[in-house]
Amino acid sequence: MRTIRRALLALLLVAASAFVVACGDDDDGGATTAGGSTSAATDAATETGQTGGTLTGYYTSSPDYMDPALTYTVEGWNAQWVVYTPLLTYRHTEGAEGAELIPGLAEDLPEISEDGLTYKLKLRDGLKFSDGTPVKASDFEHTIKRVLNLESGGSAFYLPIVGAEEYLKAGKPKGDIEGIETDDETGEITIRLKERVGSFDYALAMNFAGLVPSDTPFRNMTRNPPPGVGPYKITRSVPNRGFTLEKVPEFADYGIDGVPTGHLDTIDITIVKNQQRQTDDVINNKVDYLIDPPPADRLREVQDKAKGRFEPYVTNSTYYVFMNTREKPFDDERVRQAVNYAIDKRAMQRIFGGLLAPSCNFLPPGMKGYEKIEPCPYGDPTAEPDVEKARQLIQEAGAEGASVTVWGNDEDPSKPVTEYVADVMSQIGLNAKPRIVEASVYFQTIGNQKTKAQAGFANWFQDFPHPANFMFLINGASIQETNNQNFGNVDDPEINDLIDGADANPDLDEAAPDYAKADRLAVERAYVAPYGNRQLTKLVSDRVVWDSVIAHPVYEVDFSLLQLK
Amino acid sequence: MASTDSAATDFSDDLPAELAAEERRAPAGTGPWRIALRRLRRNKVALAFGVLFLALVAVSLAAPIWAEEVAHTTPYQNRIADTITIDGEERNIVEFDGVPIGPTWHGEYFLGADRNGRDVMVRLLYGGRNSLLIGIGASIITMVLATLLGLLSGYFGGWLDWVISRCFDVMWAFPVILLGVALGVSLNISGITIGPLELESGSLWIPTVIIGIAYVVYLARPIRGQVLALREKEFVEAARAQGMGPWRIMLTELLPNLASTLLVFFPLIVANAILLEAALSFLGAGVQPPEPSWGLMISEGIEFLTSAPHLTIAPGIMLVLTVLALNIFGEGVRDALDPRAKIRLEH
Repeated sequence: MRTIRRALLALLLVAASAFVVACGDDDDGGATTAGGSTSAATDAATETGQTGGTLTGYYTSSPDYMDPALTYTVEGWNAQWVVYTPLLTYRHTEGAEGAELIPGLAEDLPEISEDGLTYKLKLRDGLKFSDGTPVKASDFEHTIKRVLNLESGGSAFYLPIVGAEEYLKAGKPKGDIEGIETDDETGEITIRLKERVGSFDYALAMNFAGLVPSDTPFRNMTRNPPPGVGPYKITRSVPNRGFTLEKVPEFADYGIDGVPTGHLDTIDITIVKNQQRQTDDVINNKVDYLIDPPPADRLREVQDKAKGRFEPYVTNSTYYVFMNTREKPFDDERVRQAVNYAIDKRAMQRIFGGLLAPSCNFLPPGMKGYEKIEPCPYGDPTAEPDVEKARQLIQEAGAEGASVTVWGNDEDPSKPVTEYVADVMSQIGLNAKPRIVEASVYFQTIGNQKTKAQAGFANWFQDFPHPANFMFLINGASIQETNNQNFGNVDDPEINDLIDGADANPDLDEAAPDYAKADRLAVERAYVAPYGNRQLTKLVSDRVVWDSVIAHPVYEVDFSLLQLK
Repeated sequence: MASTDSAATDFSDDLPAELAAEERRAPAGTGPWRIALRRLRRNKVALAFGVLFLALVAVSLAAPIWAEEVAHTTPYQNRIADTITIDGEERNIVEFDGVPIGPTWHGEYFLGADRNGRDVMVRLLYGGRNSLLIGIGASIITMVLATLLGLLSGYFGGWLDWVISRCFDVMWAFPVILLGVALGVSLNISGITIGPLELESGSLWIPTVIIGIAYVVYLARPIRGQVLALREKEFVEAARAQGMGPWRIMLTELLPNLASTLLVFFPLIVANAILLEAALSFLGAGVQPPEPSWGLMISEGIEFLTSAPHLTIAPGIMLVLTVLALNIFGEGVRDALDPRAKIRLEH
């Protein structure tokens, strides 16, 4: 997910140490909560917190859609994760553990055929949507049809299903997707794929696949969101004004292990554009939680005034400079290496207001397959850059004075980063100028081959915690004429083979070393110039139990764990 | 901005009593220009602001000298992770949390740094150059086009007047800032080539031309009104009777009579153009990075309003002073040339 919103997203939520939702995991000795989940961390939160109450919060931007088929921003996912539970979901905890897939509305994790092309799942018995409608296996097919038919940004994740492309081309909402077979009597769901996609089970855990009833219309339902199965339901949704979530008490009856049943009665979110006001209100306990970080210049003040309820954390994201290998002078590896040598990651860190963890890898540290590249071929990411070496490489490549346009958009931090990178390139001998375009058209512009964008700002936040979701950005197979995400047109046969092989392997543990090798090669061959991983912040009012605030690796804030004192 | 459609050209009719008496006291043979100059000289406030404007121009033109000799940097040089020594104390140019250093009142970083570690004073001076260049350049474009169109429309009348007037109506209906943003954003992505004219994206000519064109209608309409009145005057009739062609009449008879109007409008148009440039740059549709401009600097400083207010205050003050100086001096010029004050610019 590349939206700038997501970049800013912040989500704060609290950090409850390891909330091991392992309901039924009696060996841990944790008490069973109302929802059936257990963990020592949860118990600790319960001791100091209460059940019930209303939490208030501010979002800077409205969720793009209040419809699970369409929403593709952090705001939307954050709000709707607790409303629309998919067949598979994630553990509700921080860190790598939060990236672990667990059964959601399905009884168990999918049974995958040996060839990796068939996924079999079974729906839990007795589930009902928040309006009381019984959940059927065929609701899953309807859910996927809506994603495809509405041309959602998430369509691509389900196109590997047999018949999905044909369904999309036919344009008939009630048509059939050949590769999805469901049995409402038994609750069995069978999904057949055209090709092996190692990360497909993660697609089943995405918000897009959150089940909705089969009679949900094929249109944007933001003003009247459909019912879902989750600890909360949406009772108010006014675009650009706010929304309200209310607890669904019946959800606790389903006893879904690992999915909390919620503590709060009501969650009331208001859209407030002014981040200074947001910060003031949360510091003064007028509002309980913010999704976005405070403005950079107030971080020091917030750290002082909100001790014990403020904390930065590193996200699964990568910020990098792309360099187009099809365009001079970046078709020369030495020029790309020179840029890597010259970028001062300490400077980048300051541009981000301190909220950037300098890095050498393309893969973020929280991702499986991440192996810290040490020593970094371009020097310690936290030390002074080797500008002389960079100048020397530019001279060797005969690229002195070469004209370069460095692309960026007009939102923070892209604009100052772009200006900085252009200045760095000029200092090492290139003739670089920044070109800033409006954020809403930026990625389409540089993703169009006709633009011939030479270099520029790029970032990526994970859609799901699988390295495939990052490595496609440097896979030759993903190069497109328009809407290209491989901005550098990286097409290295060795890297392509490693990524393709790993992508097809459903066993992530087995595939991880290949991703790590591809990551290392991409850095060594300087196809990209990664400079860090974005840090976001958790900030809540004094009313909120700090241990109930977790930053989930995918959904950031977890409303279902939040608790008031 | 709006103006009357019927601004008069000569400045001796229907004068207030004191001004009429002043003209009567003038020695025989004193021309209207000399009288106007005398009036302007007596307006000390307008003259003071005129001098202030010239001082701002001079300071902006001296930007390279300040940059090279005093600050030892350029308006583009990023020094984010560097340190400087002030009064024996080593300080970060940009702190770890991204907050830039404030004014040092020394040669280096006299007015502090921006978030990219660039010298604000140097950028302020270079920004002034750009703002003035665009403001004056755009005003010249406006004057030339507006005069041409006003003359053609007012003198020939008929279908030509109808076509030009309807074009004016369309432009008038478009809010000038919206027009500027729409053109600025699109042209700054890939530039534009019209025949032999090629404007590269990021070129200062893009905001100059956009602003110049955007204000044409505001000046062309009053000029057209004046031409409509002038073409019925006896001296134009006499020129026609002598066999002068329309182009010669426009050039030798009408244009000199429009001079006072153009002079009155010029500083006011420059002030408006500078303001519009600042607004467009603030919105990202004017001057493009890394070139500095006051509007752009204010926009970049907004995020640090509480921790580094110098980022917005310094360019804000320069902008206010420049526009104020031009407006007050412009009004002095108007009072001198058009004492009946029929020509007005409304913002």
